[in-house]
Amino acid sequence: MTETTTGRADRAPARGHRASTRRPGSRQAEVTRLLPSGILVVVLVAICALIAIPLIYVVLSSLNSDLGVARGEFFPSSFSLENYANIWTTIGLGKGIANSLIVAGSAGIVSAAVALATAYVFVRFRFFGRVTIMRGLLVVQSVPGTLMVLPVFVVFASAGSYLGIAVIGTLWGLFLTYLTFTLPFSTWVMVTYLRGLPKELEEAARIDGASNLMILLKVVLPLSWPGVMVSAIFAFLLGWNDVLFASVMTNSDTQTAAIALQVFGSTQQSGTLPLYGQMMAASLVCAVPVILLFLMFQRYLVSGLTSGAVKG
Amino acid sequence: METRKTRLAALTAGVAITVLALTACSGSNSPSGSNSPSDSTNGAGQTLTVYIGADGKYGPQQQQWFKDVSAAFQTQTGATVNFQTFASGTEELTKIQTSVVANQGPDVYVMGTTFTPTAYSTGAFVSLTADDWSKVGGKDKFVPATLGISGPSDSDQVGIPFNSGPFAMAYNTDLLAKAGIDKPATTWDGLVAQAKKLTGNGVYGMAIAYKDNFDPWKFIWAMSRQAGNPIISGKVAKVDDPTTLKAYQTYFGWLTTDHVVDPASVGWNDGQALAAFASGKAAFFPMSTTSNIPTLSTSAVKDVYKFALMPVVPPGATTLPAGGAGATSIVAGNNIVVAKYSKNQDLAFALVKYLTDDANQQFMYKTFGVLPVNQTTLKAVVASTPALGPILDAAAGSVATPFSGAWADTQLALMNVVVQTIPDLAKGSVDNSKLQSLLTAAQKTAQSSLDKAP
Amino acid sequence: MPASSAESAGQSVPSGLAGKTPSGRGGPTANVRHRRGVTASNRPLWMLIPGGVLMILVIVVPILLGLYISVLTLDQYTLRQWLSAPFTGLGNYIEAVTDSPLLKSFWISLSFAVLSTAATVPLGIAAALATQNHFPGRAVVRSVFLIPFVMPSFVVATVWRTMFQPDGVIVSGLHSVGITSGLWLNGPNSYWTLVIVEIWAAWPFIYLLALAGLQSVDHDVHEASALDGASWWPKLRYVIFPYLKGPVALACVIATLNHINNFTLPFVLFGVPAPEDVQTLPFLTYITSFESFRFGLGAAMAFSSLILLAIPLIIYVRAVKLDVDEGADK
Repeated sequence: MTETTTGRADRAPARGHRASTRRPGSRQAEVTRLLPSGILVVVLVAICALIAIPLIYVVLSSLNSDLGVARGEFFPSSFSLENYANIWTTIGLGKGIANSLIVAGSAGIVSAAVALATAYVFVRFRFFGRVTIMRGLLVVQSVPGTLMVLPVFVVFASAGSYLGIAVIGTLWGLFLTYLTFTLPFSTWVMVTYLRGLPKELEEAARIDGASNLMILLKVVLPLSWPGVMVSAIFAFLLGWNDVLFASVMTNSDTQTAAIALQVFGSTQQSGTLPLYGQMMAASLVCAVPVILLFLMFQRYLVSGLTSGAVKG
Repeated sequence: METRKTRLAALTAGVAITVLALTACSGSNSPSGSNSPSDSTNGAGQTLTVYIGADGKYGPQQQQWFKDVSAAFQTQTGATVNFQTFASGTEELTKIQTSVVANQGPDVYVMGTTFTPTAYSTGAFVSLTADDWSKVGGKDKFVPATLGISGPSDSDQVGIPFNSGPFAMAYNTDLLAKAGIDKPATTWDGLVAQAKKLTGNGVYGMAIAYKDNFDPWKFIWAMSRQAGNPIISGKVAKVDDPTTLKAYQTYFGWLTTDHVVDPASVGWNDGQALAAFASGKAAFFPMSTTSNIPTLSTSAVKDVYKFALMPVVPPGATTLPAGGAGATSIVAGNNIVVAKYSKNQDLAFALVKYLTDDANQQFMYKTFGVLPVNQTTLKAVVASTPALGPILDAAAGSVATPFSGAWADTQLALMNVVVQTIPDLAKGSVDNSKLQSLLTAAQKTAQSSLDKAP
Repeated sequence: MPASSAESAGQSVPSGLAGKTPSGRGGPTANVRHRRGVTASNRPLWMLIPGGVLMILVIVVPILLGLYISVLTLDQYTLRQWLSAPFTGLGNYIEAVTDSPLLKSFWISLSFAVLSTAATVPLGIAAALATQNHFPGRAVVRSVFLIPFVMPSFVVATVWRTMFQPDGVIVSGLHSVGITSGLWLNGPNSYWTLVIVEIWAAWPFIYLLALAGLQSVDHDVHEASALDGASWWPKLRYVIFPYLKGPVALACVIATLNHINNFTLPFVLFGVPAPEDVQTLPFLTYITSFESFRFGLGAAMAFSSLILLAIPLIIYVRAVKLDVDEGADK
């Protein structure tokens, strides 16, 4: 009977005995196993190999000379670590990474929060135009960025002059841009996730007199961490990788890492050799913060319900 | 545990927002330019914004130069200079568009010469009056050829030359000596003949970058121009012309019939062709510039490479035909343009004067390796570095591409013919009728773009 | 949707992540069936304000602006006074559909996108399944899987471009096992090059969403299926996959749209102008707007393709019931 408090117990089988107490350790692991070990290993190795080969090329190229990379060498003809030292001075990579972390990070967090609130209203309540708006959010995703660049710039520039403050060239402008562009998708992720949450807990809280906001924060949020995490990650990655809008909305002080990296890849008309070695080194360096962040936060991507559901 | 997670998230969010807010407050960027009369070079308290290409090779040096220029300019006029960099032509174009539309942005743009006609066609940049020219130090201080792509006519110019990067040909003296060749030929036919002699034992006569995004059209243009066809003449596009057809056939023929280039070069961009030359695998490397020097001087050919002019006589001829221009190169390099929306135009001209004066041009040559446009500086460079002689000749003999708003489209159309022919090229033979139909399509594109020009 | 005959009769068939409230399951509150939704006075519509305001300002207004631009003759000559650029009505649209490579590019983009999505779905799901259960080093593996998605697009493109060179790793590798593959970066193979690289770079997207979806599978479900003695494939197919349906369906839509709009990858892989087999839609809009400076035409192209896309999009969304909650109004 204790399972019913998790809400999901409604889907528990009717027949036979139920394991009413969770036994820790191997039984749990065995029960939740999804793939047999053989297939598991094959899948893991195959995917890792798939990722590894170009990645190894990146690592090797970062140790090679630019000329060597231009010649198409896979294994470097000359080894040197100087690229990793040079990237910090060739462009403002440190500042770029810091800016990227700030803007993308904030956009990710706020986007997930706003998306949660928006999705909650969409999923739990009915109001006029609800489905149309939701469909609209999907359609909006198909608008290409190249179409939006000029109008978005005009909107921000006009708003800036109207309000007398600078919006273009500040991190705020970029933050607002990323935040808004990630909202449709974040909202949809939350919608899909929230649909799976049973209403009983919220209804119970409502009976107890909780306001909508409290329900959102105390009941819905704890149960929807995986969805929130994924929304935040995607929003973060969008801000992290975007070049088009950052190139328009930032200047040299506020440029993001993605913009700073462009310098390495640029093929100018004058025919200078692109700085392949530094480009590879810098992209590895830029990937590190994201991987670290994901390492830290991926433990939130666990079944929120098994880690202590709200009882009562 | 949920509350802990919630709190952690809230804390993270709070920190992020605070940092953002602090950044916004402390690092506030005042809009470029400001509201005082533009009629003075007393720039106390003003800031000029200059939009310039980032130099990947000399990043720290460029940052230092930015600081030095701003300090010197401040001493001179009281105004500081804020340099904003871009990484690619696309980025700069986007910036120009957004600035033109919103009527705000950098005061001064440093742009490639091939962009200048497009910038001119927006009507957003100042056309220099005689007075303006004197503010930048006078037209006479510039090398005449560098003014070739400043405007549609001598009286209507928006581009002030900034630096020069003409195209020449690098060649391997060692390989030439072994084949008994004294120096590169001055006709395209002659060059191919020499290349044939030089091909063999894993070495090819020429290193050509067929897949590059910028090189191929320059060959076609050069050969056509030398034969008398400027590609755009007034309101008529002449892409579909026997001279252009011959140019393409020659260009492709190096691979398909003459076999003087590496078959792998169908996939090469400029860097790869350079790499092939730099490792001694090719004898000639056309479309080379001084920006290749840093790479070449640390490569296997560092002691044996030299520069020469690219051929100036079109294929199929032994002397320059009537009406043909002996174009050694396009007018390549960078121009400076001043935006009409700038509220500090006189200050901008003062800055341009500073940037194009002998002192700064010398510094830029020594530090970044870019050729000066200032006549005095150039003479000094000639005197001190004889090896650069051919490059300077290339600069002097460069001919401007047509100054038309439709040139960007035409250039693209010329490139498109090459791109769509590459599959055939890889197979080893180019069908003439297919080439002709591609040319016809390119002609249509170029002409319709030309028709739209006012 | 497979009936969960392997499960108990009382268990309802989950659709997407949404589970139907089954009849008469235990627990004190489950028997009380509340009215869906609450009274109008209790709806926290104010929660929609932050998202709504932002989206209207930064998305809707620019789109309307873009729409306005699409009916103007806006090019480099009229850009400066863009508000007074000549009005051309549907002229741009007509030209886009009849006189430009729009339809061909649209087809290339759409087929490439659908192919990429179709290939990345099994890959992403397999990866999510493989990393769901704990094993030593799982956190690292999960993070490593993300790398292709995290690397900047142009770096990925540069790396693959070098690998696909005529004298590069891939051609030599294929040659050593006796396959002559010809040109990868131009010609008919270029299409497949694009698909391959896109798959490599974009599969973590599906993986992440599948991962999130797997978290909503409650432990009791696993227990139940273990009790039923289901082996791994039927369990996956009938129990687990229904949970993934919602997130993966969403991921498919968004991934397809992302593939269609992906500009950087083909741009760096092939350069401009592009070989005719890979002249995707973003290439076309880019060249039209950024190289030919015909913004009006470019905007018209973008909106035309939007209309063309919207139809299959809406059909798909309705087919997988993405926009429908249990028992909600349609």
